[in-house]
Amino acid sequence: MKVKVLVSAVVMATASNVFAAQNYADFPVTVKGYEGKAEHSVAYTGQAARQVLHTSLKKLAGKGNGQANPELKAQMLSYYEGKDAGREIISPTSKGAFVVTETQVDELSKEKNLSGKAYKGAVPGWPGNMTGQEVLSFMIDKASAANKGYDPLTGYDYAQLISKFAMGAVFYNQAVDNYLDEKLEADTKPNNKAYGEGKPYTGKEHVWDEAFGYFGAQANALNLTAEQVYKVAKQKEEALAYADVNKDGKVSLYNEMTYAHAYYAAGFDKGGKTDYLHTIVQAFVDGRQLIADANGEALTDEQRNKLKGYAKTIADNWEMVIAEAVFKYAGSTYKDLQKLNEAIESNGDAAKLFRKYAKHWGELKGFALALQTGKDNLGETAVKLNRLVGFSPVLLGNTQVTGIDAKGNYVQSSSINMKEYMLHMLKVQKLMVDQFGVKARANDVMADLGDLADKLGSGSSVEND
Amino acid sequence: MFETFAQFYQDLIVAFTDPKKRVYWGYLAVSLGIALLWLKCKTPKDEAWFGSKLFSRRIWWSESARADYLIFFINRFSFLFIAPLLLAQLTVATWLFEALHQWIGHRPVLGQGWPDWTVMACFTLFYFLLDDFFRFYLHKLLHEMPCLWVFHKVHHSARVLTPITVFRAHPVEGILFSLRTTLVQAISIALFVFFFGSRADLATVFGASIFAFLFNITGSNLRHSHIALGYWNWLERWLISPAQHQIHHSTNPVHFDKNYGVVLSVWDRINGTLVLSERNQDLQFGLSKQVEIGEQKLLNLYLQPFLEFQEVLLSRITKSVKALTNR
Repeated sequence: MKVKVLVSAVVMATASNVFAAQNYADFPVTVKGYEGKAEHSVAYTGQAARQVLHTSLKKLAGKGNGQANPELKAQMLSYYEGKDAGREIISPTSKGAFVVTETQVDELSKEKNLSGKAYKGAVPGWPGNMTGQEVLSFMIDKASAANKGYDPLTGYDYAQLISKFAMGAVFYNQAVDNYLDEKLEADTKPNNKAYGEGKPYTGKEHVWDEAFGYFGAQANALNLTAEQVYKVAKQKEEALAYADVNKDGKVSLYNEMTYAHAYYAAGFDKGGKTDYLHTIVQAFVDGRQLIADANGEALTDEQRNKLKGYAKTIADNWEMVIAEAVFKYAGSTYKDLQKLNEAIESNGDAAKLFRKYAKHWGELKGFALALQTGKDNLGETAVKLNRLVGFSPVLLGNTQVTGIDAKGNYVQSSSINMKEYMLHMLKVQKLMVDQFGVKARANDVMADLGDLADKLGSGSSVEND
Repeated sequence: MFETFAQFYQDLIVAFTDPKKRVYWGYLAVSLGIALLWLKCKTPKDEAWFGSKLFSRRIWWSESARADYLIFFINRFSFLFIAPLLLAQLTVATWLFEALHQWIGHRPVLGQGWPDWTVMACFTLFYFLLDDFFRFYLHKLLHEMPCLWVFHKVHHSARVLTPITVFRAHPVEGILFSLRTTLVQAISIALFVFFFGSRADLATVFGASIFAFLFNITGSNLRHSHIALGYWNWLERWLISPAQHQIHHSTNPVHFDKNYGVVLSVWDRINGTLVLSERNQDLQFGLSKQVEIGEQKLLNLYLQPFLEFQEVLLSRITKSVKALTNR
C-alpha cells in the first residue's frame, strides 16, 4: 500500500513538473550568489503594465466629442508618455464573473509608459515623414478632437489606428528588434550577472521575459486551446475557470490575461489552419528553459545560437500573425466597399456602412504600419503595401489624404474611385500570400473560388470521351 | 516511394468508388442493367440474347482489351508524377478573377434578388455547357490536326470496346484533357464567383454535378461497349447515344471524323459531323479494317505517336520551306 502511494506521488510530482514546464512561469533563480527571497526568476511586470497602458489608451481614443479637448488629450498622453502614479486601468476591467485583480497600472509596475519604447524609425506609410513615436503622438492629438475617435472627413478611426500601430511600434518592435535581436549578443545583458543589482534574474533571463511580456500571452497558454485563450482575451465568463491558474477567483492582469498579438494569434489559430500561438509560446518556453539550464553561467556560443533559433521562430511567426491581420482586414475592407458601392448605387443609407469601412480600414492600416516595424526592412513589399492602402481610405468624393500641411492639417487630393480601390484590397491580400505565405486567410476575398474548385474536383484526368 | 504506391492504390480505388468518376461501380451496375434490358427487348426471339455481347471472353480478354487494362494502370501511375506539374484550376481561376477585376475596374453584383437556387442552376448549366463544348472542340481538333491525331489514334486503335476503353489514351492526350478541364473549370469558377460571390454553387448528386450524374446513370459506360443502344432519331439530334459514339469508332470510312460530341449532339449538328445510329448496326472498331501486326503492343502504342509526330512536324517544316523558296 505504502509503495503504491509512493509511486503515485512520484508520478504526480513528475506530471506536475511537466505541467509546470509548459507554463511560462516558475523558472528557478539561477543568479550566482543571490541572497534575496524570490523563489522564481520570471518577471515581465513592466510589459504587463504597457499592455494595460495600451488597452486603456485605446479606450480613451474613442472618448472624444468632436471638439478640441485638451483634458482628454492630457489624459491620453499620460498613458502614452507619462509616468505618473495613480493611473487607473481603464481597460481591461472586471466584466461579470470575470473579475480582474489589478485596477491601477502601478499595481503591475510603476513609472512605465509607451512612448519611451516606441519605434524611432521613419514611418513611410503615414503622411508627415514622422517616426513611429511621433506618429502615435500625432494620432493622439487628432483622436482627442475626433468624435468617439472617428473623423468622417478623412475616414480615420483613431482608436483602431492607435491601437494596431502601437502594438507594432511598441510591442512587436521592442521584442523582435531589440530583446530577441541585439540583446541576445554575448556582451549585452550577460547570463552570468544579475540583470541589476539584487535582482533575482540574470541579464538573459530578463531579456527573454520582457520579449514574452510584449507578445501578450497568458503564462499557461500552452495548456489551453486557441479557442480558450481567445475567450480569455474576450473576458468570457466561462474563461475564468481556465484563466485563473492560482485559483484566487480573479484573473491577474500580469500573467493570467491575454493581450495584443497573442490574442490575434489565438483568433487565427482557432480556425484550425494555423498554430501561431502555441508555436510562439513553445519557443519562448524552450528558450527560457535553455537559459535556466545554463544555471547562471554565461551562455556559450552554441547555446546562444540555439536561443537565436528560438528567437527566429518567434519573430517569423509573430510577423505572420501581423500579416494575417493585414490579410483579414483587407478582406473586411473589400467587403465593406462592395456593400458601400451597392448602397450608393441603390441610394441606400451609406453612413453606417462608411463607418464600418473606416473601422476596418483603421485596423488594416494599423496592422500594415505595424508590419513595417519589425527587425527587417520589408523593402519593395512595404512600398507596394503602402501604395495599395494609401494614407487614408478612399472617400466618397474619390479623394484620399495625400499629406499633412505645416499646421498639421490633412491635405486631400483626388484619387482612384472606391470601386477601383476594391482591387487594391484584393492585391493587398495577394501580397500577403505571395510575400508571407499567410495560411489562416480570414475574410479571403477569393475563398469562394477555392470552395467551388474543391466541389468540381481535380482537373487531372486521363479519360477519353 | 511507399507514399507513391499508396497514392496509386488510392487512385485506382477512387476511380471505381467515387460517383464523380465515369466507371464508378454504381454507374457500371446501372449500365449493365440497361444493357440487359436492351438486349432482351431488341434481340430477335430465335437468337440468344444473353451473353454474346456482354460477357464474351473474346471481348473482355482480347488483346485490345488487355492493352486497355495495362494502359489504365500505366497512365494512372505516370499521372502521379505528371499531374503536379500541370496548372491547377484554382491558379488559373485566381488569375482570371484578378484579371476580371482589372479589366472591368470594379465588381458589379449580378442577380440581386434572385433566389440562391437560380444562381446555382445557372452555374451548373453554364459549367455543363462549357465543358461539353470544350470536350467536343478538343475532340474535333484531335481528329483534324495531324499533329494531335497521331496521339488520339491510340484511343481509336481499340478493336473491342469496354468501359475501360475510356482510359485508353496516350499520356500526351491526358495532358491535353487535363488542361481542357482546368480551363473550363477556371473560367466557370472565376466568372461566377466574380459576378455572384459565394452564391455561385454546383448542384450535385452524391458529390457529382447533376448533369454528370444524369449522363452516367443513363448508361454512359455503354458508349464503349458492343451494345448498340440508340435513341429515337429526334433525341439523337440533341443527345449522343452510345450507338452514335460507337459509329465514331467504326472502321467504315464514311464514319470517320463523325460524332465528336460527348453528351450533346448539337455541337456536331452545327458542325455538320452528326451521324444518327441505325437499327441493328453492326460495326467493326479500330483504325482500319485491316488488322496490323503489333498494333496492340504497348511499346508501339506509347512510342509510335512520337515518331509519327516527328514525321508530321518534318513534313510541315519541309512544306513551309518550299513555300518560302517558291515565293
